[in-house]
Amino acid sequence: MTEVYRKWGRAVRYENGTVIFVSEAGEAFEQDGVFQARPAVEEPAQTRVSVPPSARADLDAFVAETQVNVAQTLLSVRSGRIERFIASAGTATHETTGTEWTEESRRVHISLVNPPLRALIDLASFDVAIVSTIADALARAGEERKAPKRIRLAPNVSAALLPSLLGELAMEQTGGGFDGRGQPIETRAVTHDPPPNWYRPGYAVQPVRAWMNIRALPFGRIDPDAPLAVALLEPVHGTTLHVLCVDGDDVFPTTVDASHIAAVSRAEPVWYPHAGGSFGAEMML
Amino acid sequence: MATCALIESRLMHGVATQRGDSIEASDARDERLVHACDSAIDEARATVAALRDARVRVVVRGTREDSVEAVETTMTVAIDGLSVVTTPSNALGDYDLLHRVRNASAPMRGSILWSNGSAAVLLHEAFGHGSEHDVAPVAWPPWLAVDAPLVSRRETFRDVPLMRMTHLIARQTNAPFTLPEERIDVQLIAGGAYDPVTDIVTIDVAVSSAGPFTMRRSRAEIAASLSGASGEPVRYPGVICSREGQELYVASHAPVMITDGLL
Repeated sequence: MTEVYRKWGRAVRYENGTVIFVSEAGEAFEQDGVFQARPAVEEPAQTRVSVPPSARADLDAFVAETQVNVAQTLLSVRSGRIERFIASAGTATHETTGTEWTEESRRVHISLVNPPLRALIDLASFDVAIVSTIADALARAGEERKAPKRIRLAPNVSAALLPSLLGELAMEQTGGGFDGRGQPIETRAVTHDPPPNWYRPGYAVQPVRAWMNIRALPFGRIDPDAPLAVALLEPVHGTTLHVLCVDGDDVFPTTVDASHIAAVSRAEPVWYPHAGGSFGAEMML
Repeated sequence: MATCALIESRLMHGVATQRGDSIEASDARDERLVHACDSAIDEARATVAALRDARVRVVVRGTREDSVEAVETTMTVAIDGLSVVTTPSNALGDYDLLHRVRNASAPMRGSILWSNGSAAVLLHEAFGHGSEHDVAPVAWPPWLAVDAPLVSRRETFRDVPLMRMTHLIARQTNAPFTLPEERIDVQLIAGGAYDPVTDIVTIDVAVSSAGPFTMRRSRAEIAASLSGASGEPVRYPGVICSREGQELYVASHAPVMITDGLL
C-alpha cells in the first residue's frame, strides 16, 4: 500500500524587515521507488478546514508581537549590528497512515556581527536576555585565544552540539507528539541502533530516520567558575566549536574540541530548533 | 547495460503578492506556467537519457513577474562525486567534460591558470557578491570588465526577494598574458563563498593539476592577484548560488585568466 503524507499549513515569517504570510497544502508519497511531492490539488490551503481557523489570527498576533520583539532586540544590541533577523511562526495539520495531528512551531534566528566575528543565535522563542547577553559579550570581544582547560557551554551552545554527540554521550529521546510518518515519539535511550522515528522537515523532503528531541542525561559536577561559551561563532563542525567565551571580565573567541563532555547540568533543559529537536543544558568540557 | 531510473519528482507552484513590506503567498496553481514547465521537463528528459552513468537533477522554473514570463531549465549532472550545472543544450558537452577532467598531483605552488571559464566563479564571489553586499570597492585590473547586474530574485514563492546576480560575464581588453611555467591548472570548482563580515572569499577547487584544494583570500588580495587573461569569455558549466538559503542559477562566463600569489 502506498503511504501518502499530507500537510496543510499556514506560516508567517519576519525576515529582515519584510513579513511574508504563506498558505499551502501538499502531499508526498513513494510509489515504485520514486518519491513524489506536489501541492494538494483538490483542497487549496485557503479553504482547508483542518488548519485551525484561528491560525491566521494567531499569526497576525505573532507579527505584532514580533515587531515589539524586534524593537526590544534592536535596543538591546545597540553596541552591535544585526546582520540577519528571522522570526517565524506556523501552524500545520499533518495526516498519514490514518493519523492526523496539528503542530505549532516558532523559530528565531539572529546573527549579530562585530567584524570579523559573527554570533549565531537560534531559539524556539524570543529571549531578549540571551540576545542582550551575547550582544554585550560580542561588543567586548578581544583577540582569539587558546581554549581554556575547562569551559562551560551555555544551553544554546550545547543544544547545537548534541546532534554531533549521538552515540558518544548518554542521551535520551524525549517522548511526545508524532514524527514525520505519523508514529508516536516515545521516550527512549539513544543508542547506536537506527533511530525508531522519522524526521520530515517539509512535505517535499523525503523523511529520514532521526532521533527526535534529544537531551543529554545529567552527570558530573559543573564548575560555576569555569569560563562560559555564550554563543557559537560558526555552525558546528563535527565536535569542533568556534565560540565566544566569557571569562570574568575577559571576552574572546576560541576554538574547542567538544568530543569529551565532563559534566551535564541537572537544571531543566530548554528546547532548541536543531535537527530533529535538541534540549540544551549547561555542559562542561 | 546502464539504465536510467527516476528517484524523485517534485512539483511546486505558488503566487506571491507584495504590498510594501508585506507579502501574501499561497500555493495557487497557474495552469499556463505548469504546462510550460511540463513541456520543458519533457524536453530535458530526452537529454537525460543520454547521460547514462550520471546522477541528474533537472529543475524547471516557470515564472511570471510584472507580466514577464520566463522558463528556465537547469540540470545538475554528477559523476563520481564531480558535478556541473548545465542546460539541456550544453548537457552532452558538459557530460563529456566530466569524463575528461582528471585530478593530478602537481606541487601546490606558482600561479593559477583558471581555465574552462572557472575564473567566473572566483569573480562571482569576489566581485558579484561584493556588489550584492555593497561593500567597499577594491582595485580591479584596468583590462577587466565585469557585467554582473543585480535584480530582485527569489527561489520560490515562499521567499523574500533579494537583489541577486542574474549572470556574470567577465571580459578582458588587451590584458597581458604569459603562460607561467610553474602553475596549477584549475578546471572545475566544487563551491565558493563570500563572507561580507570578514571580506573573505573561499573557493573549493574540485579538479586541478594539483588535485582538489581550498583557497581563502580577501577580495583585495584576489583583485591584486589577477595578472593576465586571454580570449573571449568561456561559459563555466554551472553556478548555483546560495544566499539566505535561496538557491538560484547564475550563468557565468570568463576568459582564461591567471592569478599570482594565491597559493
